[in-house]
Amino acid sequence: MRSHSLRATVVNLKGLKTVAICLLIFNALSLISIYSSLHQAGEFVGQQILYRQLLWIAVSWLALLIFANINYRIYFDLAHLIYGFNLLLLFWVLFFGKKVMGAQRWIEIFGFTFQPSELSKIATIIILAKFFSSRQESIHAFLLPLGFTAFNALVILIQPDLGTALIIVFLFLALGLFSRIPKRYFFGLIAIGLLISPFLIGSLKDYQKRRLLVFMNSDLDPLGAGYTIIQSKIAVGSGKFTGRGFLSGTQNQFNFLPERHTDFIFTVIAEEWGFFGSLFLIILYWLILSKVLQRAKETQDQFACFLCLGISLLFFLHIFINIGMTLGILPVVGLPLIFLSYGGSSLLVSFILLGIFFNISRSRK
Amino acid sequence: MLRKFFQKINNLFSLSTLEKVYFIGFCVLLGTLSWYQLFRGEYYFQRAKNNYLKVLPLSSMRGEILDRNGISIAYDRAEFNLGVIPYQVKTIKDSLFQELSDYSSLSVGSLNKNYRRNLSSFFSPVDIITNVDKTKALELNEKFSDSLVITTRPQRYYSNPYAFAHILGYVKQAKSFYEQLKSYGYSPMERVGFGGIEQFYDTYLKGSDGGELVEVDSHGRIMGYLGQQRPQKGKDIYLTVDSLVQQAAYESLGDRPGAVILMNADNGELISLCSRPAFNPNSFIEGKNTSSFLNNSKSPLLNRALQAKYPMGSTFKPIVAVAALEEDKSKSSTTFDCNGELRLGIAKFRCSHVHGRQNLFEAIAHSCNVYFYNLGLKIGPDALSRWARKFGLDSLTDVDLPFEARGFVPDVRWKQKKLKSNWFAGDTVNFSIGQGFMTATPLATMRAMNVFASKGYLVKPQLIKKIDSVESGAIDKTYLGISERTLEKVSQGLRETILREDGTARILNRLNLKFSGKTGTAQNSGRPHGWFIGFFSYQEKTYTICVLLEHGGSSYEAVKIAYYFVKKITENKIL
Repeated sequence: MRSHSLRATVVNLKGLKTVAICLLIFNALSLISIYSSLHQAGEFVGQQILYRQLLWIAVSWLALLIFANINYRIYFDLAHLIYGFNLLLLFWVLFFGKKVMGAQRWIEIFGFTFQPSELSKIATIIILAKFFSSRQESIHAFLLPLGFTAFNALVILIQPDLGTALIIVFLFLALGLFSRIPKRYFFGLIAIGLLISPFLIGSLKDYQKRRLLVFMNSDLDPLGAGYTIIQSKIAVGSGKFTGRGFLSGTQNQFNFLPERHTDFIFTVIAEEWGFFGSLFLIILYWLILSKVLQRAKETQDQFACFLCLGISLLFFLHIFINIGMTLGILPVVGLPLIFLSYGGSSLLVSFILLGIFFNISRSRK
Repeated sequence: MLRKFFQKINNLFSLSTLEKVYFIGFCVLLGTLSWYQLFRGEYYFQRAKNNYLKVLPLSSMRGEILDRNGISIAYDRAEFNLGVIPYQVKTIKDSLFQELSDYSSLSVGSLNKNYRRNLSSFFSPVDIITNVDKTKALELNEKFSDSLVITTRPQRYYSNPYAFAHILGYVKQAKSFYEQLKSYGYSPMERVGFGGIEQFYDTYLKGSDGGELVEVDSHGRIMGYLGQQRPQKGKDIYLTVDSLVQQAAYESLGDRPGAVILMNADNGELISLCSRPAFNPNSFIEGKNTSSFLNNSKSPLLNRALQAKYPMGSTFKPIVAVAALEEDKSKSSTTFDCNGELRLGIAKFRCSHVHGRQNLFEAIAHSCNVYFYNLGLKIGPDALSRWARKFGLDSLTDVDLPFEARGFVPDVRWKQKKLKSNWFAGDTVNFSIGQGFMTATPLATMRAMNVFASKGYLVKPQLIKKIDSVESGAIDKTYLGISERTLEKVSQGLRETILREDGTARILNRLNLKFSGKTGTAQNSGRPHGWFIGFFSYQEKTYTICVLLEHGGSSYEAVKIAYYFVKKITENKIL
């Protein structure tokens, strides 16, 4: 029975060969770039991190295969339960999570830390897909998902994890605009948001404010975020067309760039593989996104359509914001580059979402 | 009009539009990438190859710490360091270090050690000789101008290190725990308070570091300034402590381990808070010989005033007296006969003397155990626990210092649950003279005794007077609801401890101050701890004093210390 389902999955993967191949290339690229980013002036300084990433890749593939085999319709019925479970985890983190100087974002399992706010992304996509696929047009159909999203975002904001909270709010707005709910509600909400944004910015932590200011003028903080952006630009630019070659990027190797293996992994790739490499990477992302969007177009099931939309939106946001940030066209926020950055939670969540997408693709007939 | 507009917008949100949005997004990224990598690639390549950006850190000054009269007790002064830029000296490092070693008093080994320890980046200065005299620094810099750079950094300095060690704590570089601090705006070279006021008020004391971003060529020469961020000094903090009184308290202990606390009874301002043995916080900053503190069997790092717990001994008796009067179990005129011991079954509980018939005042003044044994048995363990807790003996005083320890008040249920044993009358008897399971910190004990000085309030002790020019002004006190009559009676007993010819603290009467108090000799393994806690009026203010001598033998030693301390500060008009 088990081997049968596994074979069915493998067979099924055939239809999604492109995506699977893209993912394998991403895995390889991720490992190579992390390996390179862990070198300093010719010395390899972080085996542990590489092994951990390898392990996370294996776990993520396993998760993808499992989720590809779970009928996605079940999430429709379980949406509230998943949302509740996610909230429970978030509260757990709030009270018992691993505390790192004031910020409580992590749960520790067997020495591995996991960030439940990442899981929120799945829970949010599922519950919003359920609400928005119900074809209602009343204000009620707008307020209910708004309440769910706002509460979730608030709990994450307390951790504090501003980036994820914003992503969740953005998912609500973007997905909502594709629903049948009148658009004026959403625009009204955005208008209110813009009106109160000065107050919201006032309540940000000092270092968060500084990042925003630095984005406007990178000379403001030559030591902190501004420094990183300048260094990142030099690294990317110096890659030219063909790149400086594996392990040969001086910006990376001489420790000019902080957070190289996490948020600034793209810089490492752009420096070492040049425009050629960056273009290749963006084409890979495009392939995956267009496949997911394609499925959203084809499916007759509104719920599946919204799931696919949510997945593609989430991926796009991560890709656009992260790369935009390394190029200095967006402020530095701590968002990982999906499939590539070091970090288990983000990888696992991306693969689970793709697993759900695989299952949707599988049940098209 | 608006309706039409929204209809138009409705049609906008189709999946093909989204596809276009993604496509445009990716085009924006590719466009920017091609601008950097294809059009400006050569420029950035040259910049990366020949010109390096470098950050010259400008450390911020930490706020000063001053005593209540504005005398500085912790401040920053400039330290000169000599450093090298690693990539500049990578080929000549060994010969340079050899030459430097010949020229200075440092060995090649220690130069190398400093180099390895301070290395953070290939292109920023690494200090190899720290804390050099200014003229020496200039001289060396001139001789080795090609390879050495002078850096200045503010360094913390404590002007009266030992007496203030436990109040102030010290500072450490954030480097060692930078990973945890970095998202909170700390930079690796920044100093973080550790222990004491330095830690408790770190967010106020720390300023923010600045720096200069410069462009250097491949020889390390500065080619241009790209930006600067000025460092900002932290806020100055004024303490309630008087440094002369603190010094007197420190000296009064001699080299005996213990604590001396003096507090304004009404507003909780701590005038001195002293613990011995102490350490030199300057040593931690200069990084020398700290092992003598860290591995010392006398634990000089322990603040005995609030981090160590002791049995209270007889200093608990006034609280038992309050419990008896408030619970109507006894009157001040009630007498018990002391024949030197109390028999409970086969067990004997001793007293220091044969006191004969004693009323409450005499019993407090003589510290008669038998009287309080009887009182304790009348009150019962539950009420004893309740009243001990009411006086805050098992809660934190919330003084503004880190790592305060919490005292312990036993009760019947606790003993059954934890020790799996019933509560015996003998436990009550021990409890009623402050022996047995109960422990408290000197600070909490003093706060409890302060209730009599402040006419019924539990006052929170505090060290902060003002931050910059903002007065703390906070007085945090809780009314305990004890009747005036009870307070008067017990206070009279405390007064008689000093006034009576045979009172246990009679020598304090020589000070000609209105002094009251209670002695305590707390039995434990080893020599007993000596306690004296009292309060006195001086220049229309009331002060509460606590002396604890760890394994100091008897309470008489503690009373003597209180005597010489108060004599010194009042006669010299320091207080």
